[in-house]
Amino acid sequence: MPGLELSPQLFAIFSGLVEETSGIHYAAREREIFAAKLGAHVSDLGYDSLLDYYYHLRYDDPGGVERARLIEMLLVHETYFFRELAPLRQAVDSHLADVVRTRGRARVWSAGCSTGEEPLTLAMLLDDRGLLGQVEILGTDVSEQAIAQAESGLYGKRALRDDHPAELGRRYLSVDGNHVTIDPRLRAAVRFKTLNLFDAAAVRMLGACDLILCRNVLIYFRDELITRVIDQLAEALTPEGLLAVGVSESLLRFGTGLVCEERGSSFFYRRAR
Amino acid sequence: MTAGPAFSLTAGERRQIDHIDELVALGAAAVPELIAAMSDPSWTVRRATLAGLAALGDDASRPLCAWLRDRRTSEQAIAAAVDALVGSIGGTTVAEVMMLLGDPRPAVVADAAHILGRRRAVEATAALGVLIDHADDNVAVAAIEALGAIGGSAAVEPLIGAIARKSFFRTFPALQVLPKTGDPRVIAPLAELLGDEAYRLEAARALGRTGSALALAPLASLLHAGGGDPMVRLVALALADLVARAGWNGTADRVVGELRRVIAPSLDRFIGALRTTDPQERVAIAWLLGRIGGASALPALSRLLDDPALAATATEAIQHIGRAHDTAMIEALHADDPAARIAVLPIVGSRRAAPDVSALLDDDEPEVRARACEALARIGETAAVPRLFELLGDPSPRVAHAAAAAIQSLGTAGTPALVIAALGAGTQAVRRQALRIIGTLGCDGAYDAVRAAADDPDRRIAELAVAALAVLEDARVDPALAELAAGPDEAVRGAAMRAIARRAGADAAALLARGTADEAAWVRYYACQGLGRIGQAAPLLIERLADATPHVRIAAIEALAHIQTDAAWRALCSMVGSPDPDQERAALVGIGLHATAAALPFLLAATASADAATRLIALSGLAARREPEALAALGAAAHDAAPEIQEAALSLLGERDDRAAADVLVAIALTSEPEHPAHRALSWPGAARSAAIQARLGEASDRDADVLVAALARMGDDAAITALFASLELANPAVRRAAATALIAIGAPGARGRVTQLASHDPDLGVRRASAAAAATD
Repeated sequence: MPGLELSPQLFAIFSGLVEETSGIHYAAREREIFAAKLGAHVSDLGYDSLLDYYYHLRYDDPGGVERARLIEMLLVHETYFFRELAPLRQAVDSHLADVVRTRGRARVWSAGCSTGEEPLTLAMLLDDRGLLGQVEILGTDVSEQAIAQAESGLYGKRALRDDHPAELGRRYLSVDGNHVTIDPRLRAAVRFKTLNLFDAAAVRMLGACDLILCRNVLIYFRDELITRVIDQLAEALTPEGLLAVGVSESLLRFGTGLVCEERGSSFFYRRAR
Repeated sequence: MTAGPAFSLTAGERRQIDHIDELVALGAAAVPELIAAMSDPSWTVRRATLAGLAALGDDASRPLCAWLRDRRTSEQAIAAAVDALVGSIGGTTVAEVMMLLGDPRPAVVADAAHILGRRRAVEATAALGVLIDHADDNVAVAAIEALGAIGGSAAVEPLIGAIARKSFFRTFPALQVLPKTGDPRVIAPLAELLGDEAYRLEAARALGRTGSALALAPLASLLHAGGGDPMVRLVALALADLVARAGWNGTADRVVGELRRVIAPSLDRFIGALRTTDPQERVAIAWLLGRIGGASALPALSRLLDDPALAATATEAIQHIGRAHDTAMIEALHADDPAARIAVLPIVGSRRAAPDVSALLDDDEPEVRARACEALARIGETAAVPRLFELLGDPSPRVAHAAAAAIQSLGTAGTPALVIAALGAGTQAVRRQALRIIGTLGCDGAYDAVRAAADDPDRRIAELAVAALAVLEDARVDPALAELAAGPDEAVRGAAMRAIARRAGADAAALLARGTADEAAWVRYYACQGLGRIGQAAPLLIERLADATPHVRIAAIEALAHIQTDAAWRALCSMVGSPDPDQERAALVGIGLHATAAALPFLLAATASADAATRLIALSGLAARREPEALAALGAAAHDAAPEIQEAALSLLGERDDRAAADVLVAIALTSEPEHPAHRALSWPGAARSAAIQARLGEASDRDADVLVAALARMGDDAAITALFASLELANPAVRRAAATALIAIGAPGARGRVTQLASHDPDLGVRRASAAAAATD
């Protein structure tokens, strides 16, 4: 199996290793895109054979440093401000506002937040409603690179798409040529940290949250792992707390103990009291 | 195969199952006791019991039918009796079960209908058709489902009758099964139901499932019936089903052409309907837009690229539009959203687009720049080479690699000078890429610069330089490599091992042999690899099988695979049972290279490995072997739970052009659902597959005839069309009906006249009616 061509056999070997390390599942139909990313990375490291690199990962990678680099390289950091905005508005108006009214404070966790645009968007909506001071927002992602960028508060222009709500954009974001900068006050309102969703102990350490956003994350995992993650997220919800997943995702087939409910035209999964 | 969950039996269950085995061996005398065991509370025991009863065939059929009629002690036992009769190997079973159809109790009749349907008992068609009018709804539904399962011409008209009755409990199940018959007679009654609001939705989906071009016009008519976006979405779902099914029938091109004509005026409505939040509907609409849309659909499709659940469909749709419309493709290259540019760049194949693609080398998005490099290489835009050299220093490794690959692919006369300049004056990143280019293309006059780079303090530069030396045609290279192989830096020594093996010079074996004793593991690793490459030094390699470092052992195994000696073979055999999956796989690859009988058992055993990669390697080893066991293993792998194994097995079977492999493919297709990839593999053009299909047509059942004829239609080459026409002469009416429908559907020249003849002269009424329906509406 020489060279950098990713045969089905090599794909099975590498995708198995990636899934074992990170939970990210690559289906057979994704072989081409996996091959393109892997090939460039391996070639850049100076290998002329994927198998040589695989043996490096398996037998000569103390501390899993190179494995971590590989996973980092494979992670998708594609997100942007105001993405799937309606459910966020709904969560603020129909849930967090009530929690703050009742208990004085609320906690939100954006799980798999990538470079942070989602929790920062939520911070904008909360500030717009005068609630930001009463809501603690945490953004986590497995990627150190992504979290480092989130902490910097600096983004490329792709972080802001054409159809964004102009008023909010003007108020909280500065656009300068190819760069977008978040209002430092909002940046300071969100705490970021690296966290692996499969690390049950680390998830438990986060404490209970009134709202968990885990949007467009579960699609990268196999069903068994999704079930595991959902169980952990469900445990991390306060009673009556809400879990939001991406608009194209549904948890119904996983038989979760959470109650699916529609608010406005958005779907949430509520932890029953 | 992936191991399923282990079912643990209690000791009591184990005893009972052993006892059931003993009873089955006794034959008819044991039937009463076996029937009593159908009520056992253990599912496992019941399964064993019904399997035993089924195996007893006629000895058990009559008592089972009598029990089903007279006893019916519990739901569990009834289910077991039904299953036993479905699986029964008896020759009189169907006749016995058909006698139950006259029973006055609806539950008994419904069970009998279920059994007959699951057995696909064609002889029961007429009796089941009568039951559609049974006073009891459950009986009618069971009869309709049974007719749907049996299929065939005789089932069509009773099912059409069920639809026409517009009775909730009969029409809906008939709508589910009728489209599967593939008979053109179903279109008109389904289209008529579109006018009835109560049945419109299901009728539209049913029309979609027919896969027939004849269903396009009725579906399109819904777009003018009001109903706004929801109606458009319904039509989109039905049309997506229709085209998918048409693909199975071998008529996709014709259907899509017709679809474009019928739907194009409503294109904007489909674009607007993308506002829906239902992912399934959005996928269907995006997919349709890809088939019928033009540049106007691109902005809406581009917006879907951000949704992970829709991105693949949207990309495919954009590419489809781009391929069909050059102007739309170029427009997409200028889209505001880089995701759209990323989507369309891989399909650029026209020199006309070269200026637009070249401009994208300056795009802000690295993936766009990388894909622009790839596109320029593909279209042979040599004028871009100097600019590509500039991109070797791009901060994104992906872009730099793409630029280097494009330069290698374009290979102009000016490249050597540019690459030497890059090696001498560029940044370290540029120099690395320059060395990669030299390492691939070679480069006259580059020896001095490359040799100097081999001493560079930057280890990655030095390694690449050593690799580049291997391809230079210069007498100084071999001595230089020998010197570098003895140098102080282990990475350089490792690179030298690779380069020495590649050149395979006079001293290569000795230098590599020395390398196997190097203190650095990776040097030993590459030395072993090199010895394998030049096919020498088996004893040294066998010695390395005991190396302390695992990857050196693996390299030795891989190397031994290329050496054809008994000692090497024995060494491979000894490693195939290694607990380390990497060692096992490496040995298996080697064993697979041996076409000897001794290799077969190892490969067959590995097809049962829990590890998918190991199974894939085993299948590759079996691919070209002619033994029946090898073929059987490939056939079994086509049903593997892992899609990648299924695909691999079917590809390997499809790549063979021998009759035995084709027979296996036919057998798999005949026992698989329409979505199974076996159907695709069976329809790859090839004389052996065509012959294997034709050999089965004479005795084919209605369902099998549909499957086999559809495979010929998908093949679509001259030989397949000839075979379809020849099928019209066969004695089997199921084949004549299917072939007549297929020939019209694919628009085969001369089909209409021939099928019109069948419509009036065929001795079989079903063939005449189906042919008439097909020919009249063509």
